[in-house]
Amino acid sequence: MQIAISGGKGGTGKSTVAINVAVELAKRFKLILADLDVEAPNDHLLLGVELQNEEEVNQFMPKFDYSKCIKCRKCAEVCEEHAIITLKDGTPFLMPTLCSGCRACEIVCPVPGAIQEGSRLIGHTYVTPTPYGFTLVTGKLREGEERSMPLVVAAKKRLKNLDYELLIVDTAAGTGNTVSKAIEGSQLLIAVTEPTPLGIHDTELILQLGKLMGIETWVVINRADLGDVNEVYERAERYNAKVIAEIPYSENIVKTYVSGTPIVTTDYPEAEIFRGIAERIYEFLRG
Amino acid sequence: MQIVIASGKGGVGKSTVTASLLYLLKDEYRLIAVDADAEAPNLGLLLGVTEWEEEREHIGAKIARINTETCIRCGICQMRCPYECIYVDDEGNYVVNELTCEGCNVCGLVCPVPGTITLEQVRSGVIRRAITKYGFPIISAQLDVGRPESGKLVTEEKEWAKQIMKEQNLEHMIVDSAAGIGCQVIASVGGADVAILIAEPTPASLSDVQRVYKVVQHFHEPAYLIINKADINPGFTKLREWAEQEGIPILGEIPYDSAIPKSMSMLRPFIEAFPESKASQAIREIAEAIKQEIIK
Ligand code: SF4
Ligand code: SF4
Ligand code: SF4
Ligand code: SF4
Repeated sequence: MQIAISGGKGGTGKSTVAINVAVELAKRFKLILADLDVEAPNDHLLLGVELQNEEEVNQFMPKFDYSKCIKCRKCAEVCEEHAIITLKDGTPFLMPTLCSGCRACEIVCPVPGAIQEGSRLIGHTYVTPTPYGFTLVTGKLREGEERSMPLVVAAKKRLKNLDYELLIVDTAAGTGNTVSKAIEGSQLLIAVTEPTPLGIHDTELILQLGKLMGIETWVVINRADLGDVNEVYERAERYNAKVIAEIPYSENIVKTYVSGTPIVTTDYPEAEIFRGIAERIYEFLRG
Repeated sequence: MQIVIASGKGGVGKSTVTASLLYLLKDEYRLIAVDADAEAPNLGLLLGVTEWEEEREHIGAKIARINTETCIRCGICQMRCPYECIYVDDEGNYVVNELTCEGCNVCGLVCPVPGTITLEQVRSGVIRRAITKYGFPIISAQLDVGRPESGKLVTEEKEWAKQIMKEQNLEHMIVDSAAGIGCQVIASVGGADVAILIAEPTPASLSDVQRVYKVVQHFHEPAYLIINKADINPGFTKLREWAEQEGIPILGEIPYDSAIPKSMSMLRPFIEAFPESKASQAIREIAEAIKQEIIK
């Protein structure tokens, strides 16, 4: 089983919801939390743990053997990223940062061995045990790398070898194709939003994505007292999404966020709200 | 001059600070604003833009499509797709997931039946232009849901902004970048003269701003730091320490102020909506520092 927690725009409290729900649900399921916000992964900080079991994510990069290359330019023509430039005489050169590692050049090259296997480090994945009875899987893009898709794919691949009953995916902000890649395979999508005009605008996009992907979508309103929640209810209804919780702005949430202690492990009254969300998810998964 | 404002992490107040800075700089300088968060643009909203004067569709994303009539269901495309975007539907047909496809065309190249897989150009989003009620123009983009290449939209936005700068003889481009460190941020930071980083004193924000700083260093641009919500976490000194170690000048600190969320609900820059608030006093000093140290 897999559920995704997303938010349209950044900073809505998506990760706070993800880690707290994970801590709660880990009491009932063998659980993995996957931090697929590979450009800015933070769940480990909110859980107060250090990333462990680092694995490199290397990507294919063509290496030209100029003694074999016949300068036919086919590789450059096929490269959708325009990562290969050719000199006047047809000699190909690679601009490494543009290369996505797709291997299209290697596939079309007519001379065996003219394109050799090169590789580049584009990031890391981590598998970190937490003191809360679940494992955290994290993808982390290397600074200066442009494409987050391969890291999301690599982290999801690493997940496949792990044993779990429930996977909770924490996605990046936005609604581009790397967010859909992270969400892919989920039975439930939870959009964390704020009742501000900006929050509502972005929520609409994530609701659209949920609808396009055909996934049951719920909405959690964070900092619910900062704006007009009715607007959020109305939008949610338009997309057939249920609003399942309202979280007020709270100093206690900020405090626990900053100190790396999930609020559900404390006695603060707000903990009850997150437990409530976890309970709803549990009932949904049980059918 | 091109100034990029970045934070690494979303939700630290980058757009609200940018909106107020634009408001404070608009009278003395001829500016253009670029909202480079194509996946969740909101600088336009914060500056009260309700209608766009010109909208250009950006056709650029490519998506593979499989013709199920000619497909012999060999499965090679599925095996070779680097991003695992091809699946088999309930009827046994091989289908491309259009919401995750990167458009690399590897499937098309390996398919043994010519013409079965085609790479189609689709709309990736729109780029828009408006004049804000404050007199300066803004360019903004919106990526369509599930599309790749948000970075290309940002590059195109900046091109358009440069053209307008030339036509209208504008001096400065202020780019509000997206969260993260990926293609949109690289497109935003690349070509800028100066980067202003915004962070809050939390471990998560520090970790993210450190990452975006590495991207800025990659382009050899000078960087400055603004600390937002500076008083939410009094025991946390690591952000300031890091800035000092790296030699990143701190332009100023903005205290947490409920005037900011209130102004956001009103869709106005906080400096305009609550000019006497603590946050507004702080941002005025920061604008002065920018004038003296950066724009000169
Ligand atoms: S691997 Fe793909 S992106 Fe890289 S050079 Fe070859 S065709 Fe271009
Ligand atoms: S396709 Fe192969 S032979 Fe042709 S230019 Fe590229 S590397 Fe050389
Ligand atoms: S174009 Fe590339 S990403 Fe899209 S389905 Fe084909 S192989 Fe996969
Ligand atoms: S490679 Fe071509 S023929 Fe084979 S399953 Fe894919 S689309 Fe069908």
